[in-house]
Amino acid sequence: MMRVSGLFLALTACLAAASPMTAQDRTEPVRARVQGGPDIDQRAPDFSLPWANRDGVGPIESPYQLASDRGKTVVVAFYPRDFTKGCTAQMRTFAEQYDSLFGPNVVLVAISSDSVQTHGRFAASLGLPFRLLSDPDQRVSKQYASKDSEGYNRRTVYVVGPDGRVRFRNMSFNALDPKDYSELRGAVRKAARGS
Amino acid sequence: MRLSRVLLVFLTLTAGWFDRTSAQESGIAVGAQAPVVTVNDLDGKPVDLGQYIGKKPVFLEFWATWCELCEELQPQVRAAQAAYGSKVEFIGVNVTVNQSPQRVRKYLETHKPGFRTLYDTEGTSIRAYKVPATSYVVIVDRAGKVAYTGSGGTQDFERVLRTVTQDQSTPAGMK
Repeated sequence: MMRVSGLFLALTACLAAASPMTAQDRTEPVRARVQGGPDIDQRAPDFSLPWANRDGVGPIESPYQLASDRGKTVVVAFYPRDFTKGCTAQMRTFAEQYDSLFGPNVVLVAISSDSVQTHGRFAASLGLPFRLLSDPDQRVSKQYASKDSEGYNRRTVYVVGPDGRVRFRNMSFNALDPKDYSELRGAVRKAARGS
Repeated sequence: MRLSRVLLVFLTLTAGWFDRTSAQESGIAVGAQAPVVTVNDLDGKPVDLGQYIGKKPVFLEFWATWCELCEELQPQVRAAQAAYGSKVEFIGVNVTVNQSPQRVRKYLETHKPGFRTLYDTEGTSIRAYKVPATSYVVIVDRAGKVAYTGSGGTQDFERVLRTVTQDQSTPAGMK
């Protein structure tokens, strides 16, 4: 038993020593590993969620439904939380570069577990020209393998083609990496062309 | 039998911890070897960070003109640069997301942030340092190891700068 306790303590000490606490650890949600979710060419699971945009909270009787945009290219972006640093950078970039990243005939929706009221304030603060969807129990995030273990979403992006199938996905989208934005731009254009 | 049961419990309890280490946006670990990467400057000329890393202490801040926290941090960075600039290389890496060289140049003219500015169009350093947010500061010691990471408008890096420069006195102008 002594040997077992010693082994346990040693392993715990090793892990503690290898786990430096930084300011970032205290302020940012942590994400888990990716498993599952619809892959390229698979049908994107339909969902229906309440929403808000810069003009306020959408009517409760008119949630956003993915299937209602069949025939269009839809970008579905999962993100951790309103008003956090990375998410603000990402949403601001999506808004300010909307035409270049997405274009006029593409629908963008962004999903987190925040309430529609919080979404409304966040969208208004940044002037976001697209809907933020509220998925408080993370049912949709789980379907898309974008739910982490601590109640936040992972930062992921799916591009759903006009035929309702996944044409591109980035399961670890980095809000500060220009390469991730240029890949997304290319994927949206390709999906919109239907190739 | 008992040993394997204890180990099973241990591994179950620490599974979440291992997930944390693979975190999507957790930043580079303190104690890790600082990646040596090449990043362009605002004129598009490549700058090899290897000319500094492992040779002298380096202060890196990942920033953008739209980052309010970076602006809030500027007085602290300017004071640090004034105090330690002769011993530490101060570099600000612009993340280039939602930026243009013109916008950055205009910003630098008015704000004078106290570091040499690089412009990471390819995101090479963003990925290498696992940058989780703008205002992210990484201090690398003389041996090339990460000695500090943090983000936000107020940061506690004075003690680390003092240590990496092996100067125990607090220079004038620092908080």
